[in-house]
Amino acid sequence: MGIRILLHISLVMIFSPLLLGIAGKTKAFFAGRRGPPLLQPYYDIGKLFRKGNVYSPTTTWIFQAAPIVSMAAVLVSSIVIPMGSIEAPLEFWGDVILFTGLYALARFFVVIAALDTGSSFEGMGASREAAFSCLAEIIVFLDFITLALLSQTFVLSEMIKGNILSSWQLFGPALLLAGASYFLVFLTENARIPVDDPATHLELTMIHEAMVLDHSGWDLAYILYGSAIKLFVLGALFVNILIPFHGLSVVMQTVFFWGGMMMLAVGLGIVESCMARLRLNRIPQLLISAFVLALVGLFVVLIKGV
Amino acid sequence: MWLELALISIVFLGIVILGNNRLGTMIQLFALQSLVLSATPLLVYPGRHAVVMAIVTIILKVFLMPSLLFWAIRHVAIRREAQPLIGYGTTLLLGGFLMGVVFLISSNLDLPVQETSNLLVPSAFSMVMIGFLLLISRFQAITQVIGYLVMENGIFLFALLLLENTPLLVEMGILLDIFVAVLVMGIVVNHINQEFGSASTINLTNLKD
Amino acid sequence: MIFFLYSLAILSASSILIILTSRFRKISGGIFLISTGMGCVLALMSAVNVLVSRTAVEAQLNLRLPFGEFTIGLDPLGAFFLLAITVLFLLAGIYGYGYLKDHEQKNLSVHYALYQLAIISLMLVVTAKNAVLFLMAWEMVTLSSYFLIVFYDQEKAVRSAGYLFLIAAHAGTFCLWIMFLLMASHAGSTDFDQMALASFPLPLAGLVFVLGLAGFGVKPGFIPLHIWLPHAHPAAPSHVSAVLSGVMIKVGIYGLMRIIVIIKDFPQWCAAALLSIGMISGVGGVLYALGQHEIKKLLAYHSIENIGIITLGLGIGLWGQMDHNELAALIGYTGALLHIFNHAVFKGLLFLSAGSVIKAAHTGEIDRLGGLLKSLPWTGHLFLIGSLSICGLPFFNGFISEWLVFRALFEGMFHFKMNALIFSGLAVISLALIGGLAAACFAKAFGAIFLGNSRSTDLAHVKENSALMLAPMVVLAAICLWVGLSPGVMVSLALRAASTIASVEISPTMEGVIISPLLTVVLVLLVLMMVIMVLVLFKRIAMGIFPVEHAPTWGCGYSAPTSRMQYTASSFAEPVLRIFRNILGYAVKGGRPKGYFPKAGEISSHVTEASEVFLFRPIFQFIKFLTAQLKIIQYGYTQLYLLYIFIFLLALLIWKMV
Repeated sequence: MGIRILLHISLVMIFSPLLLGIAGKTKAFFAGRRGPPLLQPYYDIGKLFRKGNVYSPTTTWIFQAAPIVSMAAVLVSSIVIPMGSIEAPLEFWGDVILFTGLYALARFFVVIAALDTGSSFEGMGASREAAFSCLAEIIVFLDFITLALLSQTFVLSEMIKGNILSSWQLFGPALLLAGASYFLVFLTENARIPVDDPATHLELTMIHEAMVLDHSGWDLAYILYGSAIKLFVLGALFVNILIPFHGLSVVMQTVFFWGGMMMLAVGLGIVESCMARLRLNRIPQLLISAFVLALVGLFVVLIKGV
Repeated sequence: MWLELALISIVFLGIVILGNNRLGTMIQLFALQSLVLSATPLLVYPGRHAVVMAIVTIILKVFLMPSLLFWAIRHVAIRREAQPLIGYGTTLLLGGFLMGVVFLISSNLDLPVQETSNLLVPSAFSMVMIGFLLLISRFQAITQVIGYLVMENGIFLFALLLLENTPLLVEMGILLDIFVAVLVMGIVVNHINQEFGSASTINLTNLKD
Repeated sequence: MIFFLYSLAILSASSILIILTSRFRKISGGIFLISTGMGCVLALMSAVNVLVSRTAVEAQLNLRLPFGEFTIGLDPLGAFFLLAITVLFLLAGIYGYGYLKDHEQKNLSVHYALYQLAIISLMLVVTAKNAVLFLMAWEMVTLSSYFLIVFYDQEKAVRSAGYLFLIAAHAGTFCLWIMFLLMASHAGSTDFDQMALASFPLPLAGLVFVLGLAGFGVKPGFIPLHIWLPHAHPAAPSHVSAVLSGVMIKVGIYGLMRIIVIIKDFPQWCAAALLSIGMISGVGGVLYALGQHEIKKLLAYHSIENIGIITLGLGIGLWGQMDHNELAALIGYTGALLHIFNHAVFKGLLFLSAGSVIKAAHTGEIDRLGGLLKSLPWTGHLFLIGSLSICGLPFFNGFISEWLVFRALFEGMFHFKMNALIFSGLAVISLALIGGLAAACFAKAFGAIFLGNSRSTDLAHVKENSALMLAPMVVLAAICLWVGLSPGVMVSLALRAASTIASVEISPTMEGVIISPLLTVVLVLLVLMMVIMVLVLFKRIAMGIFPVEHAPTWGCGYSAPTSRMQYTASSFAEPVLRIFRNILGYAVKGGRPKGYFPKAGEISSHVTEASEVFLFRPIFQFIKFLTAQLKIIQYGYTQLYLLYIFIFLLALLIWKMV
């Protein structure tokens, strides 16, 4: 059991920056550039691991603890997600609640670390992050309710594996709507366009980038790694829901899963290249439309009878 | 399965129109919705009747009416909706709530939906509701026209239930009606704009005395 | 049971003794500490005994009561509440002794005696087996709470808060009188056991339920009956706020649970009503909390939110009981009960640490504080543990009880019919929203008080409080951590109390089904701790190798940065409040200074308390208007009033003759 957990975590750690690299290459392709190499995120994290830290006297231990807690929490949350043919090491009733709880823990620490610096920029980013994540969380729960009603169970692995194929045949539209709303939440949680711009570091208009402005060296490395892992884990959840590959052979499952992750990264790059960042007061409207979409998906499931 | 996909896309586009505030985008979304709408008769009752319906709908609702509306807004200085009666977030939530009511009602109505999907009535009703919401809560005349047109799309979906029984002439008559209505509305919007300098229907209250 | 009776006796005797020795402060204080300790520990032991052995005990005293007997009994439900009562009252009492020690002007012994009277009355409420005794104890709770709240009665705000509490509580008690009258007349006796044997027809059960909601709902603070809470909590001294919020408002929930035990069958809409109240109170409470500027008022609104969560658990438990779904009923009740205990612990911790901040910094306004983690390290870290618990984050006890309520709601969704599905779905979404908003609110509170730089200049001299005040908080924090990491004990104790409510026996397999996922949760948390330690290790090694520098926070090049430029609590909450501004009546007044050489400007934001402004104030104005019409008969002459009495007497005599 311990070995499986260790393997699972290592797999996530090895492959997560690759997604960022693929998205970056896609964006460069759309812009007509050659772009950074595919392994650039690895180089970035490695460079940060070789730097020293700068601390402000205003900060306390919370500032140093937040990157560690956030990276550890998202890393451990990957334990309950199956990756293709690799089963999740732990599955138990209500692991979804623990999943969201770990993300809430990570977010809480990053937010108070931002307030710890005593700077108005971090406070700005922190307050926006706190506001938008409230809305994102209810959308995620609505999606999970739809999935749970379809599979009549509340164990994450079984919700995904169980009858996804038959669910797609019978309740395709509902799953599409749930998937669409989850994709919007995916963009929000990972601070991607159209919600936030991960490429520039303009503090005044950003959410996530503003919050981590004062971190440096190893702290910044942990933050960067943590966001890559978050992208990977949330994307793995998305791919698991969207592509009904369970029940096929081991080789096909692996192909579909990793292929799906690559397609997701490419799709992310395409979305980022084709859209601009939304005005800040339109983001709650975006999230509310995602909420209504998820709601309609739930209605479709209810009306077709469960 | 394809029918349900089409119905869900129509509802999805309706929600996006509800949350939008740019006139040009709303007209384009309406055109896209009508395109998907024109495919639905073919999915329900494939046959000559349905092909004629589809072609006429495409010509009228995907090409003619949107270009009419674009011509109407060319002279209007404002390309965006000013602050509506209730905020965008509240409108979306209200739309979601109304859709919930609609889904609840539809499951209790007893309509002959056996050959089609049981999502047909709820989607049709939802479009009517969204059209009503747009009509009531927005001030710009063009947005209200779009609301009326979305409502018409919903009624069209309803008519799909009776496709076998409705003679073609009646369908054509309805479509011609809508076309003429939109033509008249476009001309009226132009006149409102000339008179008041803006196409916001709130100025029409000046006519009260 | 003997222990319990001893505890009652000790507390009663000591309260009298404290008053007698009020001249000698040290002695009365010492008596207070020792007797509270002994009384609470004895009661705790009897409670644990009843819970572990799963049997109920009873005793009857030969005191005459009108229409009833003085019967007290301890069953697992009451015993569970007794746990929360004793733990919190003991620790808050020790804290209170340290908090009020330097308060020279007041006669503290009266306060201590009232404190012990409050403990006695609460213990009687949860053990009363007779409606008359229950109501008497309930009234004693109200009165002792009132006197505890108005400790600082030289301030007008405190006095009016006390009046509001008194009026609200008595309005509730009025409904309770009617309810118990109805129940007793139907069952033919005021004894709870006799009432439980009688079967109540559904319409009567519904009426009793509505009266119970109105009567028992004032204390917990169901919206819109909650308006006394945000005034009373800031007015009271901190240890009183802690027990008020942690225990006294929970007796309302206890009353509802006791009604459920007595009347086992309710119409379906009762459970739906409970779920709706839970959703509205939960979301409304936390939204109002986000708009507050004073720490104790913020915590008061959070109590309303947590009562909402408890009511959600209670509602789904009731629905499960009505639907004969044992699992949903048991888990729902267990979640509600465990959250009652957890809330007592972490809300007590939060109020005590807030009081510690107020005592050190002499203000509770969040926007005037800042950077206190360095000067008040113990208080700050304890407040952090309280915040993490109340947000329902993993590692601490809030997560466990919220998990249980979620589980009950999902069990309801899987097995119930359509309208239960809709209500459970809505409840799940509200619970998720509550969690997110609570995290935002406590990030705001903790960050603005303890982190960053201090926003006013006179905070340089604050120093940490005495060990007498810190030790109880450390114990509460330790309980939070213990329940979060080892939930098995408390969950199984709560399960036994839950089985009393649902009148269902629990089999060992059912207990395993409920507890085993929680144990896996703890396993995952252990893995998390190990990963954290590994990451910390790497970083430590790296910090030894690579250079570490210190530089001020990046201020974007401002030449004269001040600590007032950092984000305040109000600005932190602004995005969330703006999203919900229609519900809350959120308004921002003031703004940018105008002109080319602007003078000072100011900005303030506030949230309108809708129930107070739109519901109760018009009602009270109307009542005032009506009663003003009666002023006609008041002329101020005593002879006139004597004439009224004389006329009334004459009328009575004539009526008797006829």
